[in-house]
Amino acid sequence: MLLAASALLLGIPAAATAYASSATTGTGWIRLAHLSPNTPAVDVYLYSFDNSTAMIVLHHVAYGTVSPYESVPAGDYSVAMRAAGASAASQPVLSTSVTIAAGHAYTVAGMGPESGLRLQVLDDQLTTPSGQALVRVIQASLKQQVVNVSLGSTTLASGLKFATVSSYQAVSPGTKTVTVSASGTTATSSVTLAAGTVHTLVVLDGASGLEVISLEDASGSGQPPLGGVSTGFGGTAAHGPGSPVPWLVAIGAGGLLALTGGLRLRRGRQLSAGI
Amino acid sequence: MPTRRPAAAFTLAAGLVVIAGATAGLLLTRHPTPAMRPVAAGVAALPAPTGPIVAPPQSSAPKPAAAPVLLTIPLIGLRTSLITLGLTSSGALQVPSSTAVAGWYTGSPRPGAIGSSIIVGHIDSISGPGVFFRLDELTRGDKIYVKRADGTLVEFRVTSVQSYLKDDFPTEDVYGPVPDAELRLITCGGAFDAATGHYLSNIVVYATETS
Repeated sequence: MLLAASALLLGIPAAATAYASSATTGTGWIRLAHLSPNTPAVDVYLYSFDNSTAMIVLHHVAYGTVSPYESVPAGDYSVAMRAAGASAASQPVLSTSVTIAAGHAYTVAGMGPESGLRLQVLDDQLTTPSGQALVRVIQASLKQQVVNVSLGSTTLASGLKFATVSSYQAVSPGTKTVTVSASGTTATSSVTLAAGTVHTLVVLDGASGLEVISLEDASGSGQPPLGGVSTGFGGTAAHGPGSPVPWLVAIGAGGLLALTGGLRLRRGRQLSAGI
Repeated sequence: MPTRRPAAAFTLAAGLVVIAGATAGLLLTRHPTPAMRPVAAGVAALPAPTGPIVAPPQSSAPKPAAAPVLLTIPLIGLRTSLITLGLTSSGALQVPSSTAVAGWYTGSPRPGAIGSSIIVGHIDSISGPGVFFRLDELTRGDKIYVKRADGTLVEFRVTSVQSYLKDDFPTEDVYGPVPDAELRLITCGGAFDAATGHYLSNIVVYATETS
């Protein structure tokens, strides 16, 4: 109950994080990845729901490859994988559908062993807690099926199984050491995480032992400026009519002056008439 | 007392002149000054700058982008060097001290790197147009070029132009993380509040690196 309530509470701001740039233009982002260690290179196709001509084709995508994000109109898509070099008209080895919401980002990755290969759709986060970085781990090592991953002294994932993904974790920014340990083997690498960035660490089977790659998924201003920006002095702005008060005061003063003059003139005439 | 008569007549005449002058002044200043608008047809579009355009970044091998030094928007005849900007002591975004140049917020990603890079410039000075005077003429698809310190050029395409009340500035939309190389150009717009000396709105141009 409490959990459901907090999920609901969390869900509201999450739904409101669609970006003006993409929300108003109705676009989201997608990237494609091959993370199945014993599957040969593939061609990856992205189709818009109502179009049989591929929108994006990535050729000869080998294990460990993650494409850059592509900005696409929000809507329903399908992702298909074919053996590298296979005809675009041939039956795909694998396909899945993905709904892209405006202002949201997704990773569609071929994961698992070749015998159980599947396309997994990951919902990628685009907001970070103020002044912090977000990190998650994709476990794509078949040789070491269970790994522990830490960042400095922070545990990012423990007992993370092959072909699974950890949840995001907020960490303080800085350059840190990633340590991946499995039974009898350890791999380390250094990553720099700036405030306001989102990262995905991918654990791979390397030529000799484990390998870790760090992907910067998204980045913004680590310290967002407060409020709007003061970028104008009004020299080209429309101005309303100025206050009429100074003019009215001047008219009044003129009236007093004229009145004084007139009265003196009259008195002068009376005096001369009297003589 | 015949000597008093010319002085009195002069006072009367002076009073009448003041009344006439002030009345004319009052009547002549009763209409508003319209906003200065750009004469689009009069300004020739600049040629697009030349230079090596580097490929969009690959997530798997992020290349460090050099700092931006020059901003060009041929369509509105804009070409400006870029200064660097930080935050004020109150946490607001600094603005260029000159209304003739734009500046890049060093706390934002560099143009062409993943993320939303921030460049701001003035719409006007107290007397005339500033560097971003014609920013709100941009529409979707227009090209923006940023030259970087290493001589490379990044090309962006406008995706959207928005106006926001400063009191309701969408901080997360403008400064928050995005997963591709984007650019935000910010200036002032909307109504000008003569009492505070500030515009009430900000214009934000959203652009994405062309791939």
